[in-house]
Amino acid sequence: MQVTGMLHGSPLLRFADFPAAEVLGPDASEEAIKDLIERHGSVFVKPVFKGGVGKKGKAGLIGRAKDLKSALAEKERLYFVEHRHGNQVAKANGVTFEGAVPAEHEVYFSITDSTRFRAPTMTLTHHGGMDIEELDKTQVAQIPFDPLTGLKAFVVANALADIGAPKEIISPLVQHLPRLWELFHDFGMTTLELNPIRMRADRRGRLTPVACDFKCGFDRDDPRWHRLNLPAHLFAADYSDFEQEINQLRTHQGQSDVYVINEHGTILAPTFGGGANSLVTEMLGDDAIISSDFGGNPPYEKMKSVAAICFKHWLRQANVLFIIGGKSNNTDIFETFRAMADALREHFGTYGPTPLAVVAGRGGPNLVRGMGVLRDTCEALGLPYRLFGFDSAMSEVVDYAREMNEWMKAGGRAAVARRLGITEATAAA
Amino acid sequence: MYQPGAGDFKYFVGISSLSQIATRHDRVCVLNILGGESSEVTPVGHAWSGGNVVFGTSPGRGGQVLATPAGDIPVYNSVREGLDAGHRFNCGVVYLPPAAARDGVAELIRVNPELKKVFIITEKIAVHDAREIRAMGQQHGIDIFGANCLGVADAWNEVRIGGALGGDNPSDTLKRGSIAILSNSGGFTTTIAQYLRMAGWGTTTLVSSGKDVYIHYAAPEFAFALANDARSKAAVLYCEPGGYYERDAEFTKPVVACVVGRWKAKLTRAVGHAGAMAGGEDDAAAKERWFMDKFGVDAIYTPENPVFSAKGAVVTNIAHIPAALTEVMRANATLPDFAPEGTMELKAWFGGNAGVELPAALDLPVVDAIEPYRMQIGQLARQIGALFPREGLKDASGASQMDPQTQVSSLHGVSVLEAARLPLEANVSLALLREAGGENDRKLVNVALCACLNLHGDPALAAAQAARDAGNAPNSVLGAALAIVGPRRTAGAGEIAALLIERFHAAGLRDALDDDFDLGALADDAALRRLVLADGPDPQAEAMLAGLDAREARSVFVRWLRGLGAPPTADAVLAAITTTLAWGPLLRKRVSRLTAERLPAWMRLIGTAIGASVDAARHGPDTFCEIPTASLLGEASITDVACRALLDRAPSAADLFAFQTLVGILLTNGPGTISAQGAKGAVSADGPEAPQRVQLNKALLGFLTHTGYAHGGNGFEGVQFLMAQFRDTSLIDPADPAHGIDVAALAVRCAEDYAQYKASAKAAGSADLRKIPGVNHPVFKDRPVNVDPREAFIRELMAARGESNVFHEFYRALVQALRDAGVSRTVYCVTLDAVIAALLLKLTWQPWRAGEIGEAALESAAFTVFLYARLLGCAAEIDDHLNRGRNMDTRSPASKCRFVS
Repeated sequence: MQVTGMLHGSPLLRFADFPAAEVLGPDASEEAIKDLIERHGSVFVKPVFKGGVGKKGKAGLIGRAKDLKSALAEKERLYFVEHRHGNQVAKANGVTFEGAVPAEHEVYFSITDSTRFRAPTMTLTHHGGMDIEELDKTQVAQIPFDPLTGLKAFVVANALADIGAPKEIISPLVQHLPRLWELFHDFGMTTLELNPIRMRADRRGRLTPVACDFKCGFDRDDPRWHRLNLPAHLFAADYSDFEQEINQLRTHQGQSDVYVINEHGTILAPTFGGGANSLVTEMLGDDAIISSDFGGNPPYEKMKSVAAICFKHWLRQANVLFIIGGKSNNTDIFETFRAMADALREHFGTYGPTPLAVVAGRGGPNLVRGMGVLRDTCEALGLPYRLFGFDSAMSEVVDYAREMNEWMKAGGRAAVARRLGITEATAAA
Repeated sequence: MYQPGAGDFKYFVGISSLSQIATRHDRVCVLNILGGESSEVTPVGHAWSGGNVVFGTSPGRGGQVLATPAGDIPVYNSVREGLDAGHRFNCGVVYLPPAAARDGVAELIRVNPELKKVFIITEKIAVHDAREIRAMGQQHGIDIFGANCLGVADAWNEVRIGGALGGDNPSDTLKRGSIAILSNSGGFTTTIAQYLRMAGWGTTTLVSSGKDVYIHYAAPEFAFALANDARSKAAVLYCEPGGYYERDAEFTKPVVACVVGRWKAKLTRAVGHAGAMAGGEDDAAAKERWFMDKFGVDAIYTPENPVFSAKGAVVTNIAHIPAALTEVMRANATLPDFAPEGTMELKAWFGGNAGVELPAALDLPVVDAIEPYRMQIGQLARQIGALFPREGLKDASGASQMDPQTQVSSLHGVSVLEAARLPLEANVSLALLREAGGENDRKLVNVALCACLNLHGDPALAAAQAARDAGNAPNSVLGAALAIVGPRRTAGAGEIAALLIERFHAAGLRDALDDDFDLGALADDAALRRLVLADGPDPQAEAMLAGLDAREARSVFVRWLRGLGAPPTADAVLAAITTTLAWGPLLRKRVSRLTAERLPAWMRLIGTAIGASVDAARHGPDTFCEIPTASLLGEASITDVACRALLDRAPSAADLFAFQTLVGILLTNGPGTISAQGAKGAVSADGPEAPQRVQLNKALLGFLTHTGYAHGGNGFEGVQFLMAQFRDTSLIDPADPAHGIDVAALAVRCAEDYAQYKASAKAAGSADLRKIPGVNHPVFKDRPVNVDPREAFIRELMAARGESNVFHEFYRALVQALRDAGVSRTVYCVTLDAVIAALLLKLTWQPWRAGEIGEAALESAAFTVFLYARLLGCAAEIDDHLNRGRNMDTRSPASKCRFVS
């Protein structure tokens, strides 16, 4: 859950009384853009990506215009531009116009929780405006501080002194930067990055830091960000319909984390425990439809709802229903297996049978009773199945599920379909 | 910022040896001890650890206790109250919800100066709160474990604190040995201990570290405490991407590190464990490198390519941990702690192929599980039949449903259209055993039902006849007879069925038709013999056995009866037949044992109902509907007999087809129909949670009282309409394609008449128009030409058989004529009701035309055929409600009821 760019960043900075570059959204009128150019000399035109994408500048996705005509031309170029960054492909939807801030100094500032220091940590350099990774360590201050007292002025002052910052920027930064801690800490952020902060001079030469780009991440487990009343669509791009449906069930009681790995996959694997999730997703690769962690002893009703949603979206294309977890500590196998078995039975009742093989590997409390229910359901529905205890290596069980999937692809599915009395047309994967 | 502690850390660490993490001297206070997770987990840990929990808190519930096998744990409103009561503790365990966890840690730290360790089980704590928790622990010199962890355990001390490591029976997994475990995954902490144990390695201290952004007790301090623990010879670390914790750990003892999550580099946001994303320098690949550098190896250890050093090995699959550890330790001249306890190869505890041929590699045999699971599976195997969870079944059914889109209902997954292709006897199996069954099943059903038809000399027949003579509708007539067939009449056969199921299951019977099944073990069963043998020859039993013989029906149970050397009772033969029918579904867990035990009663009730629908004069000492008993039991099909009972003549093939089709499509219309509601209400009122008290015959009375001239008898409306249209024609045989009637002209006339009627009614200002029965449907409308798919199905079925029905033909012409006459904007569909009327009238046209039966008899026949069909559908509802329903679950809450003034 990230917010990037000044369009949404600027209102957030207002909570901390932190000066920000003036920004206009995609629907700005030509008069307003012209007015902005007149007041600031030039504007930056930046595409708007949902969720946030880095390295736009490097990809040539930031335009600069000194007159309305070129500003509008940049708008046309960037409005729906595509951006590839790592494995991610993002498509823009809109642009922002940001008033240029002429300045001599550019500062990089961020707060995040560091696992090295195990404390909130400020990263600060006066060599801003570029990738922080490219700077020498001596040019960057990384200072952990006490969250109970917060980011204090002296922490900023000491840091700037340590990296030899020009003295004229020290006082304005010491005055303004500590305010960002409250924005970070009180609204449930996990990272906050301003890069660059440009030091704008007034008529008397006194400097004011002005944030010219904004990036933050929110903690989905922290309700504090709800206080900001951010529009829901800001995060909507993060989730598919299926994920959204599952996430509605997300509570602290029992995990329900899912991620669609391959929407054309053929193994539907409800996985229990983060460890099992890692192992299984790694081994299944693109055969997996989803990566999930449903552990944490979900109660029957929740497990059944989660399973029903998974089945509704994916069962028809699945060759193998693969229920897998280690030897659970407190997840009740009877409750979770009964819930999934009932959901499966109901799915067959509602949507009709679908050719499927069931493979499970599990350990934990009430294991045999749970497996008994699953066995009965498979028998009743006429599905081939193998259920393994925790004394079979989990990776072997994963391999077995993969082999089963291969066999299903190579005629097994049709054989099961025949056995279920359904026609090939409805059985086609 | 932090207190000075053990070791040379830049932050506070209090623990200097793993042996101090969970000791027998630790005393524990559990926050939110009565919460869902804690109340299950704490008692187990408390008992295993020799009673280490001194008290728990739960605001507002002070004074309660948490019962455990090691005695009750007192509960207070707050930590201060517990301390005031004289308790002392050094460990706090936090089971609070995420929003309250931070404050719980603050309470523990501020109120109890003796606090040394905190274990946070809570998941999904906000990073905001984790920051502050960390700072509080540092300021006050407290070791914190977690959050989002499963606590810690010590196999030597037999202590676990917080969480559920080792599951509900920790000794099963945690055996004293020489290996310490630190794991990001709570589940895998136990799983790894289990894997190690099977390879001969026991454990010392197990730490589930959690995997939040803040890991309060992490790899560096674990490595330090490992070095100082004389019991631990090596460690296993399970690491996921995210965080620099492992990089800074300095190990002085051998370590096997399992690093997983390379695939997460493909992701763009965290899945499962937090902090695991692409792009950072703390992803899985980086962590692998850190460990490889520490161990001086250049590759991942796999069984094919075992790369390791005396310092350790890196694996990416937890299944490789035991082998890697054994090799690393051998390089350190150290042997496993004990003999390996098992292998990790695939062992299927349960399996089935569902009749599909699997390739050899996949067709793994089911093997014995390790104890105590083998014993538990044995117990499970002794459970026969399905067990359904009970739930409120108001307006819900596990037997029938109607698809609102197609309006086609189904019974046990078979649509009524499909059921229309099955004979009545197959639909009996479908209704009660959830499967239509095969040829042998039909023979058995025919014998069982036909044996119950003839009510000569039975008070049930007298009651039915008295009801009929008093002018009752067919439902009341059938009800009068069924009221007589109470539980005591059917208890004997049910008792025999119960014992047959138990004994034959114990003897290992798999296939009830197995001619080679060895009956030796059952030969001398005195209790069984006492139940099934008659004092002298029982003519009814002999007739049934003869009927089975004549039909060459197969049954292990009947074979056993015959082999007893003495005459069995009729109840015994009936129970033998029904248990044969039920055996397959029972073993496949399609039906419950309860259903199988009630099956003889169902046969008696269904047989009685069909029998009672026939006038008393047609029940003779040796004949029923003029059929001699021997051929009734030896060859007749119940479809044929019921049709004959209805028509009072030997049915033709066309009659039989029409009858069978009618029974199929009328079988059910979902749990919302009045008839099903009546049946379900009757079960609900008896209380299905004590199923032995539910009276099946009374439940059928509930069904029957909930049918009537509007529901069930309404098929007659269409019949009357058709009679009016055809009364003046010369129609002789409606099934004859060369009937000589100008159907189109008839339809046009009817449409014109209706158009005229409609116009004059409108002119008279009447809004309440009489409708033509059997055309137009609220679902199948609005297209230029509308079709009720159910009607189309039957039409195609008939066409395929070369069947013709002039009434059906007329209806098809009528909808077009109505459109042409401007009565309707579109061509209406012909509904299923029209099909039913056409079929009914086809069956009864000739006797009616001959003056042999009047309209009243025709109406009665229409009603009766509905009752036959719905009898089966409602038997399925009753049996389903009996198995799954709750007491009084069909009532409506007062809030849903209205007063109308």
